[in-house]
Amino acid sequence: MAAAAAQGGRTGGGGGSSGAGSGSSCGTGSSRSGLLDKWKIDDKPVKIDKWDGSAVKNSLDDSAKKVLLEKYKYVENFGLIDGRLTICTISCFFAIVALIWDYMHPFPESKPVLALCVISYFVMMGILTIYTSYKEKSIFLVAHRKDPTGMDPDDIWQLSSSLKRFDDKYTLKLTFISGRTKQQREAEFTKSIAKFFDHSGTLVMDAYEPEISRLHDSLATERKIK
Amino acid sequence: MLSLDFLDDVRRMNKRQLYYQVLNFGMIVSSALMIWKGLMVITGSESPIVVVLSGSMEPAFHRGDLLFLTNRVEDPIRVGEIVVFRIEGREIPIVHRVLKIHEKQNGHIKFLTKGDNNAVDDRGLYKQGQHWLEKKDVVGRARGFYQENRSVKDRNYSFLTLGL
Repeated sequence: MAAAAAQGGRTGGGGGSSGAGSGSSCGTGSSRSGLLDKWKIDDKPVKIDKWDGSAVKNSLDDSAKKVLLEKYKYVENFGLIDGRLTICTISCFFAIVALIWDYMHPFPESKPVLALCVISYFVMMGILTIYTSYKEKSIFLVAHRKDPTGMDPDDIWQLSSSLKRFDDKYTLKLTFISGRTKQQREAEFTKSIAKFFDHSGTLVMDAYEPEISRLHDSLATERKIK
Repeated sequence: MLSLDFLDDVRRMNKRQLYYQVLNFGMIVSSALMIWKGLMVITGSESPIVVVLSGSMEPAFHRGDLLFLTNRVEDPIRVGEIVVFRIEGREIPIVHRVLKIHEKQNGHIKFLTKGDNNAVDDRGLYKQGQHWLEKKDVVGRARGFYQENRSVKDRNYSFLTLGL
């Protein structure tokens, strides 16, 4: 099984590098967009340190996101991520206010403002913790499928994953929420990360993409049967 | 042709992820800053944790010890207590013991300090013409200290003491 994955990795790597080569030759047309093309490396095969758990999880998550967005042409909804970014930005804003106020009015005149900022900061930290534990719940993608007729509300696909520390079992869960009936269906798989990465740490999309498609189709076909 | 492989992770991120990385770093810095400011508010001192820089308080405090200070208005300064004070015009605070206090009816005090390990009191350190310290010079009073394990005793770092 590992040998088959390595074979797939070599052919996948070859296909990836030829794609990158054609991309760079197209970029010589206009210099400004060419620089941006050279910066973005969407076509380059993902290569990470295979012993770094968080890098492995991030690369698997990003690739699953790419499959859903590019292959099935769903639209990503940034609401959840934006909420977290807003809370963090407000917390940093309180910290900056405290810093500048203390610099302008030296202690102890700044005591009340400082106390207010410190308490607000830790309250925001609490809100952030509650938000990530209960609202976000390790979901890293919320995608909408726009209804072609334009009448019914969108169907929502949610991806969430987990990879325990020092463990090799990666669990990916796909949740489908129908726009019309508001019903929720889930499918998940748990596999060892060794099935998707080769010896050098390159993610083999040929082994990973069928898994995602299988999850997706298992949820989609149920809908068609209804 | 740029071939900086270590930047690959950054190049793969979209705008939101980049902003989140910046925010993450900002949050770490902000947490440390807020804890420090919070300590300042709770203790009432502008520098709640200081490091002993010289050996002028041996054998009580040695170089490198951490001192925890408070500066509450309702705690009066008494003889024998260890205070951290700043002399006008000098940046670095000094940790010494209170030797003498003159106190008025309205609570205004002036006091004299001396380091335990020094032969004379601190009048030589004060500003030209200043003979007493006042409440406004005080950074805080020592409430607790933390001493690290000293495996090599009496290491000489006198080139760092700056004459304190």
